[in-house]
Amino acid sequence: VPRNRTARAAVLAGSVQRSAGPAYPSKTRSVLRRRAVLGTLLFLALVLITVSVRESDGGALHRIQNAGATVLRPFQVAAERVAQPFKDVYGYFDGLASAKSQNKRLRLELEQARQQAIANVSAARDAAQLRALLRFEDSPRFPQNYRAVNARVISFPSGPFQQQVTIAAGTSSGIRLHTPVVDTGGNLVGQVTRTAPTASQVTLLTDPDSAVSAVDLQTRITGLLQHSSGSALELDRVTKDVVVNKGDVIVTAGTRNPRYPDLYPRGIPIGVVTSVGQTDTDLYKQIQVSPFVNFSRLDAVAALVSTKPVPNLP
Amino acid sequence: VRTADVADAAKAGVLLFVAAIVQVSILDDVLVLGGTPDLLLVTLLLIALLRGTMVGAAGGFFAGLVVDTATLSTMGLTSLLLTVAGYWIGRYGETTGRDRSHAPFVSVAVVTVLYAIGSLLVHFMLGDPAPAGTVFRDVWPSAALNLILTWPVYAVCRRLFRAPEWTERAQEVQLLG
Repeated sequence: VPRNRTARAAVLAGSVQRSAGPAYPSKTRSVLRRRAVLGTLLFLALVLITVSVRESDGGALHRIQNAGATVLRPFQVAAERVAQPFKDVYGYFDGLASAKSQNKRLRLELEQARQQAIANVSAARDAAQLRALLRFEDSPRFPQNYRAVNARVISFPSGPFQQQVTIAAGTSSGIRLHTPVVDTGGNLVGQVTRTAPTASQVTLLTDPDSAVSAVDLQTRITGLLQHSSGSALELDRVTKDVVVNKGDVIVTAGTRNPRYPDLYPRGIPIGVVTSVGQTDTDLYKQIQVSPFVNFSRLDAVAALVSTKPVPNLP
Repeated sequence: VRTADVADAAKAGVLLFVAAIVQVSILDDVLVLGGTPDLLLVTLLLIALLRGTMVGAAGGFFAGLVVDTATLSTMGLTSLLLTVAGYWIGRYGETTGRDRSHAPFVSVAVVTVLYAIGSLLVHFMLGDPAPAGTVFRDVWPSAALNLILTWPVYAVCRRLFRAPEWTERAQEVQLLG
């Protein structure tokens, strides 16, 4: 095919006569558009952050977010269900690796628990009789006065900044703000800090802002349980003149102290004391507590909805 | 707006939505040597690398909204970080990163570290807990896990998205005669 050209040299258009272009070259327009889009999106993100932080939980943005969470929930549940068999397989092999040593430890614990249970039966019977004799008015007791709303965990903390999980149950199931949450074994996980109709945000015990009034089950020493480091907890405000032993079980105190108002019912297991120390300069003992809950393996939890009115502080 | 651009935007939206749901529902619970793989960040960066700044920034904003909504956390926070990350890597893809085989891996490694630092700063400014020691300890295994994710995710993205036609390539070539 003959080509209709007189020369075959190809050069860049810089030296070529061109027709008058638009007021802004396409490259400049593209840069302006790109920056405008970025600026707009960043501005929108900052507006959303500001509104989200400043408005109350009942504000318009939170309501929209709650509605969005309700829409996203089926997708999250579906993803969780798809992943569950793989998690189970991993959990099975992970369990096999430590099964032998765990079995030995559990047998020992079972023997101790059996002896303790025998002693507890008669003590519980005595306590019930005495309470009836005294006409003792009690606050809601765990687990008798609580209805468990079992829910799947549908989102997990994304990184070390967040110590919250989202569960697939909300106000439509009776969950309210500050509802206590336990794991499938009945151990304390945290409390509800945000609610939507079909989802709730649970702040874990490992959140730096979490504080639980707790008691040593063996010595009856009370203190304030707070996050220490990693998944460890620390029992604070325990003076140096009292005795706390390694291996003691820590449970919620359920006290209604105005200084540290306790949102949790009495007697929910929290963890076991792993070390006790003190220094000359500190006012209080340093008591490390290892939680019973494995916060990185939370699949399902139970929110404890009280069936008895919780007394308000005067 | 060309049909191909709309199709690309739709594919990017679906891919990012799925990645966001998988991230918040499954992968945020996976802990390997202290690190957590971030499928959403990797997917966003690779899409941005292939499709440029506009898709990167808009995709980051959208994915951030999905994450913040699903986790009931502060709205806009993840969007802010992912928008910047998507834009920056989109720009890298449009300029020096084009046609370089190591670009996806460099992008993911660098942005994983910078994203962690950015998150730390934003949370610190908002008065949230910002454990710098934990962040700097956990970011390395997370970066390694993200690099492992990069290869399969990049293969998927390359298959889904057509070859880029960057606007900043030489505009006109004219034959003289």
